[in-house]
Amino acid sequence: MTHKFRLLETGFHPAVFNMGLDEAILDSVSQGNCLPTLRFYGWIPPAVSLGYFQGLQEEIDIEACKALGIDVVRRITGGGAVFHHHEVTYSIVIPLGHPLARSGIIDSYRILLAGIIEGLAELGIQSEFAPINDIVSAGKKISGNAQTRKKGCILQHGTIIVEVDIDLMFSILKVPQEKTKGKLIEDAKSRVTSIRNCLSVPDSVSFEELFCSTITALERGYSRALDLDYELSGPTDLELKNAERLAREKFSNNQWTALR
Amino acid sequence: MKLELIGKPEGCKLLRMTLEVEPSLSTSSRIISLSIRGDFFAIPEEAFDEIQDELRGITIGEFAECFDRLAQEKALEFEGISGEGLMELIQKELNHDS
Repeated sequence: MTHKFRLLETGFHPAVFNMGLDEAILDSVSQGNCLPTLRFYGWIPPAVSLGYFQGLQEEIDIEACKALGIDVVRRITGGGAVFHHHEVTYSIVIPLGHPLARSGIIDSYRILLAGIIEGLAELGIQSEFAPINDIVSAGKKISGNAQTRKKGCILQHGTIIVEVDIDLMFSILKVPQEKTKGKLIEDAKSRVTSIRNCLSVPDSVSFEELFCSTITALERGYSRALDLDYELSGPTDLELKNAERLAREKFSNNQWTALR
Repeated sequence: MKLELIGKPEGCKLLRMTLEVEPSLSTSSRIISLSIRGDFFAIPEEAFDEIQDELRGITIGEFAECFDRLAQEKALEFEGISGEGLMELIQKELNHDS
């Protein structure tokens, strides 16, 4: 059964706008104003997004972020802190009654991550779902994801790591010993990978080229895995207006960011 | 007495808890305030925040059962957190004190 989906490629924006637009799309789909939506995007400047249940000061070195020009934003989804730099981010919004929606969280991840696994295979990367919310290739994490259900819809978003600077990541994320079970950062480095690493892509190929080819592969992957028929479009004027408002009033608001 | 607990119980993501109990930590101590943070998922998110408020006043001994009961009442779906996991963090502290 083919599913009609709206496909958005919204380019590179600041963290607060990216989160604002994901929520504006959730509102649109929940009101029946548009099709279920798959969106691909990037982050400029780089940013750290915090999970809804995380403590700001515990998880992120705010001063280091300020010094490095890295934005900080709290997501509406749970999960861990994510450093958004050289990656492709996607979001997918479907009504709870949609044939692709599953009632259980893990089943839901399994279905909605099949598109990424198929997309990575398109690039020549073998990967698999690692519950609760990761995709790994040869045992190393290449994608992290987070999901919420609001207003009768599932919103899931996540990252596909194109290339990664682990030292930079660990300079801004506070990773307690309990999380790494006492393992050193060097060891943690060996547990994360990227498209560039997996395919041994030379430095002569820019991040921007890899970003574009990854999106193309993911679009094909999602189409194949979930039988999607795309309507390529842009956000509506109302979505853009709502995204800007949410960016300004919610995601830039320190009361929200410092919620915990 | 205020406690800062952190751990990664079996089957859970990283969990953090700030727990204020009176007068000291034992199974009969009552919870004055509670803040649970971490990498977990709980849907709907707002209902999880309500649970934390509703756990004030219960004893440590009742914690896991009350947590699970409230989660069920609010139709909360969790991944990466459980009443048992949170109790494991508290139990570690109880064992440390005894």
